[in-house]
Amino acid sequence: MIEQIVFYMLASVILLSALGVVLLPGLMHSALCLGLCLAGVAGIFASLGSDFIFAAQILVYVGGIAVLILFVVLLAGSASDKVTRQINEAWLPSLLICAAFIWSFLRITAYFAGITAKSAAAPTVKAIAALLLGDYAVPFELISIVLLASMTGAVLFGRRKAQ
Amino acid sequence: MTEEILQPDISGPVFNHANGRLLMPETRYWPTDMWKSPWSLPTYRRGAAVLAGLITGGAAAAWFLGEIGPRLAPVYSFIEAYALAYGVPAVLIQIFWTFIKGGILLLAPLVNALFAVWWERKISAHIQSRMGPMYVGWWHGVLQTVADGIKLFLKEDIVPDCADKIVHWLAPVVVVIPAILVFAPVPFGNELVFADIDIGTVYVFAVGGVSVMGIIMAGWSSGNKFSLLGGLRSAAQLVSYELPRTFAVLPVVMLAGTLNIAEIAGFQAGYWGGIIPRWFIFYPVVGQVAFIVFLIASVAETNRVPFDIPEAESELVAGFNTEYSGMKFALFFLSEFAYVLLSCLLMAAVFFGGGAAPLPFLEFLPSWAWFLSKVLILMFCFLWFRWTFPRFRVDRLMDFNWKFLLPVSLLNIAAGGILIWLLS
Repeated sequence: MIEQIVFYMLASVILLSALGVVLLPGLMHSALCLGLCLAGVAGIFASLGSDFIFAAQILVYVGGIAVLILFVVLLAGSASDKVTRQINEAWLPSLLICAAFIWSFLRITAYFAGITAKSAAAPTVKAIAALLLGDYAVPFELISIVLLASMTGAVLFGRRKAQ
Repeated sequence: MTEEILQPDISGPVFNHANGRLLMPETRYWPTDMWKSPWSLPTYRRGAAVLAGLITGGAAAAWFLGEIGPRLAPVYSFIEAYALAYGVPAVLIQIFWTFIKGGILLLAPLVNALFAVWWERKISAHIQSRMGPMYVGWWHGVLQTVADGIKLFLKEDIVPDCADKIVHWLAPVVVVIPAILVFAPVPFGNELVFADIDIGTVYVFAVGGVSVMGIIMAGWSSGNKFSLLGGLRSAAQLVSYELPRTFAVLPVVMLAGTLNIAEIAGFQAGYWGGIIPRWFIFYPVVGQVAFIVFLIASVAETNRVPFDIPEAESELVAGFNTEYSGMKFALFFLSEFAYVLLSCLLMAAVFFGGGAAPLPFLEFLPSWAWFLSKVLILMFCFLWFRWTFPRFRVDRLMDFNWKFLLPVSLLNIAAGGILIWLLS
């Protein structure tokens, strides 16, 4: 009962703010709605009992990526951003692509919809750590190599610009 | 000739018994000569006596009260049993109890702001040889902040004409809500924690980082170039300093083997050789470096001097909160002091052993009293820095973070690993 109330509240926040990202005039409003949307997703994680993913979502997406997007909007924004329309002529194809994605997601999730967890997830970081640094150590390290490569690339571009 | 003028008479002030005032020889200069023999001054002796009385009285009250957590547990179980006997569903009791606990927790940042603003004004005044607020309230202007709060409630709420009205209205809300939520997993003593969650440390850094969004919103929506620059600087500064701040805590987390703040504090119980407490600050090199990096990054995270370039008044009027008045401005102020309190609580729990006594024979005082006194001493340092260091320049601030603090904190994590390897 309470779980359902919480879920529907969070889901409406996520959907409305996601619509706001696409439809609101002004880059800044879209970026703020994106932050709210990501925070709502974090709320879903928290209500499912996976507290580490909740904190990581807030830390990385709301406190990191959304803030950096806001930063870019502040740096690169212009006065016309406040009133610029967000929708251009390609709205019909993009809507169709979105519909296709939603349909495929529905097909995928329909397979898992009947399965319910036997018990509530016991939130502990130790289990995640054992998985990340034990069973899945190689993919975990591969991701860090990707991050290192992108960071090196960013430094390289920054240096070339400065010269 | 000149030497005679430069060497004034320092033979103690003359006490006039007729009116109880001090007669100052004309060659004595205030305050430098006056403080050369401070114990001869009756006001000084009286002040020291009042301070000693406050500390002794506080300690006696703490000893009388004992541990709060275990004392309140029977009260809760009695209320719960009473409500259950009258057929109130258990879920409702749980929800209600959570709200009561949340209300008590909400008092922490509010009371802290009331106290810390007054304290900061007194400290700044005494550092600058002034008196500070003296009139409102019975003793040394203790009610000055309350009067200021009433004034802020009565002030007109001004929204600039070219402001983005909704974002301008929401910005203080977005700043202050994380500043209150962030206190949930922070302990105030043994068994005095609102939400004893497993990932407390990550939660604190994650939720605390959301406030920067509100600051950017305030800066952008005011429609003022000073506010915009303040918001930009603040975003850059807070995102940058969050990294060394988080990395500074990692050696502690590695040693304690848990992310739960209360458990980290509990890990530091006990004494080496029966004398030196096993606090993390006393671990060789790693502990001190981690503490200093965390302290510097915390001052930067709270936008305080010497890292207050987002609201540098000589450059940006008041930065991101230039266009705010009344209670909206007060909310920014409240969140700043809430984050100061949070940093002090974190430092007390992570580096200074939480509620542990500094010496074994002092353990008769309850844990919350030790916690509170550690927090107050650390908060004094925060307020002290403000009147000691000049403001950084923007580029030097960033250089200091990325080229000094971040490498040092990363090396400190490696040193922490070596320390664990040596200890095991």
